Amino acid sequence: MIAALNGAVDDISKAMKLHRVWIALAHEDIGDQHRRTTLGPLWLLVNYVAFVGTFVFVFQPAGKDAAGYSAYVAIGLLVWFYLMEVMSTSVALFQREESFIEGTTLPLFVYVMRLGLQSVIRAGYAIAGCIAILIVSGSPVTFPWLWSLAGLLLILFVTPALTTVFAFLGAFFPDSQFIVGNLLRVGMFFTPVFWMNNGQDPIQKYAYEWNPFTYFLEIVRLPIINGEFPVHAFIVTIIASLLTWAIALLLLGRYRKQVVFLI
Amino acid sequence: MVSIKLDSVSLVYKLHEKLTLSAPDRRVSGPGGRIESSGRKQFVQALDGVSFELKAGDRLGLVGPNGAGKTTLLKVLYGIYEPTEGSIAIEGKVDALFNINIGFRREATGRRNIVLRGLISGWTEAEIEEKMEDIIAFSELGDFIDLPFKSYSQGMAARLAFSAATALDPEILLMDEWIGAGDASFQDKAKRRMDELAEKAGIIVLASHNESLIQSVCTKKLTLKSGRIESLTTEPPKRMGSAAKR
Ligand SMILES: Nc1ncnc2c1ncn2[C@@H]1O[C@H](COP(=O)(O)OP(=O)(O)O)[C@@H](O)[C@H]1O
Ligand SMILES: [Mg+2]
Repeated sequence: MIAALNGAVDDISKAMKLHRVWIALAHEDIGDQHRRTTLGPLWLLVNYVAFVGTFVFVFQPAGKDAAGYSAYVAIGLLVWFYLMEVMSTSVALFQREESFIEGTTLPLFVYVMRLGLQSVIRAGYAIAGCIAILIVSGSPVTFPWLWSLAGLLLILFVTPALTTVFAFLGAFFPDSQFIVGNLLRVGMFFTPVFWMNNGQDPIQKYAYEWNPFTYFLEIVRLPIINGEFPVHAFIVTIIASLLTWAIALLLLGRYRKQVVFLI
Repeated sequence: MVSIKLDSVSLVYKLHEKLTLSAPDRRVSGPGGRIESSGRKQFVQALDGVSFELKAGDRLGLVGPNGAGKTTLLKVLYGIYEPTEGSIAIEGKVDALFNINIGFRREATGRRNIVLRGLISGWTEAEIEEKMEDIIAFSELGDFIDLPFKSYSQGMAARLAFSAATALDPEILLMDEWIGAGDASFQDKAKRRMDELAEKAGIIVLASHNESLIQSVCTKKLTLKSGRIESLTTEPPKRMGSAAKR
């Protein structure tokens, strides 16, 4: 256990010394993905806004305030898409990096950070779109927005741990790549991304309360929508994050030298 | 002090699928490692009790048929694979050339790829900056250095990879078979650089099927067969061509 933790800390600190590597590679990745397109990464912004627009148009509850619902969906989709992208791209991370893992001695955490940074850069475009939607739909910029910012930082903090856990999962159980992809697609309907929990429908209530992702969404959404500090959601999220980190450190410490034999 | 010491190193690859459908008893033993199986799992014993020591100035040539374990041994030396059994002690800064394309991005220019390669090897930006012109000059790629890597031929890629890997004077340099990819004049240049490196009290380990390359570069020859050391001989290198005149 202690040895595993030492190994993990060693891997992470080496990766942090090599931060120029993953920063450079993440930028190359984004560049490559959008090479030869006219809008470049702005497509990410367009996609996001189009998605929010569609959801608002289709699911807007009749008679209720439209602005509130736009804000609700805009933030919900922002956080959900981010988490979904992180998890679904992480399962195949080590397989994708096979040639590097089999040819260099870079610490595994370098690949984790490379992917994390990529997701963050992509999310940056969605955040810009989200803020634009919030302002256009008339949400006043208030002090509780800072709590939302804190929520985003917490999500940022858990990202490398989430990536590590899913990457090991995918390396040990290649089938999980397909399972995770499917679960996430279904998961969107069991997470309050675009529906609101009014406490009446028991299934909805259950999906709301027992789904950990609910709380990751709510720490960003509630401060802006309701102007409150969601204590309960923050506590759940912090505990979930720490747990994820603990699992990530154990996996990294114990199995990082095995990965090269698995992929 | 630069040194390498291996003590009865073994390495076993575990496979989860069946390797072949033919009945195992009818197969002749091939050139590779031994295949064993237990239940659904199969194992390949790629290295079996390999021990040797190298000290500063040694140039080791690795020979043996395909599947003898040369690449595996190099990767163990580099630290990519942890040995299944046995121990390994290495002193010195190691750089390796396994596969020409590793660490190179197809879309990026040669120049940008040198930067990435340098960062991956742990160089500082100042070191990269300082070595850049040297690397470009040594590779003789000329204007191609500012074209994307995907426009390079295998030989050109080999030039770039070799130039970059040897630019920062690694104390230990590991090289796999592909070094033959460059043309004759570049191979000659590469040999000279390897000589320089070894004279600076470095260690070179080179796997190759090219007997004359091994003879002209190496001072020791290790023959592997099915993961075991068949022979380890010491022989003075037959210097040839320009390298002999210096
Ligand atoms: N990733 C791998 N998984 C399973 N077996 C492998 C793997 N790499 C090599 N082997 C096996 O290990 C043995 C040694 O391979 P290798 O070191 O590549 O030989 P060489 O480089 O001498 O041709 C061979 O029998 C090969 O089939
Ligand atoms: Mg080989």
